[in-house]
Amino acid sequence: MNLAIPTPDIRRRSVTGLWLRHAVSFVRYWKFVITWVLIEPVIILVAVGFGVGKLIDEVDGAPSYAEFVTPGLIMGNAMFHALFETSWNAYNRIDNDVYETALTTPITITEITMGDILWAVTRSIMTVVGTATVAALFGWLSHWEAIGIIIPAVMVGITFGALGFLFSAVAPHTTFLTLVFTLVASPMFFFSGSFFPISILPDWVEPIAWFMPLTSAVHIARGFALGSLDITHLWAALYMIVLTAIIWPAAIFLLRRRLIK
Amino acid sequence: MTNESQQNREVTLNPDGSVIKSEDIRKIYGDVAAVDGISFAVEPGETYGLLGPNGAGKTTTMRMLAGLSPTNSGAITVSGIDVVKDNRAVREIMGVVTQHDGLDGGLTVFQNLFLHGFLAGLSRKDSKNRSHEVLEFFGLRDRSKSNVYELSGGMKRRLAIARSMMTSPSVIVMDEPSTGLDPQSRNRVWEELAVLKDAGVTVLLSTHYMEEATILCDRLSVMDHGKILDEGTPDQMIERHAPKEVAQLRVSPVSIRTVRGYLTEHNITFREVGALISVTGANGDRPDLSGLKNLDGVRTSYRAGNLEDVFLAITGRELRDG
Repeated sequence: MNLAIPTPDIRRRSVTGLWLRHAVSFVRYWKFVITWVLIEPVIILVAVGFGVGKLIDEVDGAPSYAEFVTPGLIMGNAMFHALFETSWNAYNRIDNDVYETALTTPITITEITMGDILWAVTRSIMTVVGTATVAALFGWLSHWEAIGIIIPAVMVGITFGALGFLFSAVAPHTTFLTLVFTLVASPMFFFSGSFFPISILPDWVEPIAWFMPLTSAVHIARGFALGSLDITHLWAALYMIVLTAIIWPAAIFLLRRRLIK
Repeated sequence: MTNESQQNREVTLNPDGSVIKSEDIRKIYGDVAAVDGISFAVEPGETYGLLGPNGAGKTTTMRMLAGLSPTNSGAITVSGIDVVKDNRAVREIMGVVTQHDGLDGGLTVFQNLFLHGFLAGLSRKDSKNRSHEVLEFFGLRDRSKSNVYELSGGMKRRLAIARSMMTSPSVIVMDEPSTGLDPQSRNRVWEELAVLKDAGVTVLLSTHYMEEATILCDRLSVMDHGKILDEGTPDQMIERHAPKEVAQLRVSPVSIRTVRGYLTEHNITFREVGALISVTGANGDRPDLSGLKNLDGVRTSYRAGNLEDVFLAITGRELRDG
């Protein structure tokens, strides 16, 4: 069909094919990747929960600091995974002409981002489920609603998966990708209410913190973890969806500019 | 493909009977026309070459034909598909070997093929079977489980060509199929391409190797600065543009000035390429070099005119200058 308005013409095979590629590659190197999916987040969880937690009695409606920090840490870690997949890994796929090769088959740029973001979501879910299970064993995720953390895990995979492409699509070299971590990931990791409630930040910092999409994700995850969901969690979810609706098309635009010369 | 030559390829033709047709296509980057109005047609079963130095616009032309890059103007038809309108459809039917091998380092040799076949539209079962077939044909069967970075340059290139064969396409474009390969690997690639040709596959290739163009191409175009300068069979091109014979002088440094002086004095055209002086006689005949006979340190040999000479004659430049 040749209509003036481009119709969303998504070929499922392209998306599953790319997802399969990432899964196969992941399985080949699982011994190395698993350290990041599971071992590292558990180390941080234990250090913060048992270590720092011992110094703090109670915080913002959570029965213990460990229970407060758990959903935050889990989401922060999920963010790192999603970002890494579509910034660092995607950059390597651009640089090694893996996408170029894929494009010689009937695949589109939109489908490439879909396959890769689907994999970012998968990684996010893997690390969230793994870490949350360990946290639950420690008794830090005690509410049955905590199972719902899978929802912000998916959202983090999508939003940050799309966001990572904004960097890989314009990166002239791998050093440029340092910016993903210095400008995006680290500030969000520490200022998204993972470690402390953002309400204790100075008044002028608080809106900036809410602007960061991880803040919304942590807020939603904590709502599930502590069984304290209310309307604010819905707003947070809407904010992430709106933000993604801007970032993803931008990612497709930039990636197209990079790959279709 | 255990025996590729026994396989008969059905190919859909354009209305005019060609398989690939390019009409006045243009590609402009900034104010530079990388491809500046190129027209040619490739007939079914033919191997057609674009011969030219780096930067002539060969890669850009091929990328546009393969539906990987939009045109600024002009028309492209491949097997009846309007590529400008529907680049996805052409990517369904065409095998493409890109300039860089574009192999996936995260996957094994087999997985590279399998994934490509799957993305190209084969079922999992078919893609698996076909991967084994092409590995067999390209002599890479025992490398099936290797990481691609463990392969030699020649093997990587052959794997990239094997990948383009996953869907048994009847039309393939290859960007510089043997660039950067050692002579042995190059010969092997050429042998394998000859088998595909026997099977009736239509091939469009780009090259800046005179030898590759001579051996593989039924017809070719000489390209420079985004334009086609002339087109024909290798023999026609040589007949049209190259001298019948070229004398090649290897001259020791002590005699070089004497030789240059002699040639200039007798109005004999010559050019120096590396340590060689190539001399062409008037009207393309054997040049008279009798005056150099008794000079020490000069070895003279004669060769027939070739596509390098064609390129030089048409563009005034050496093919290898890039």
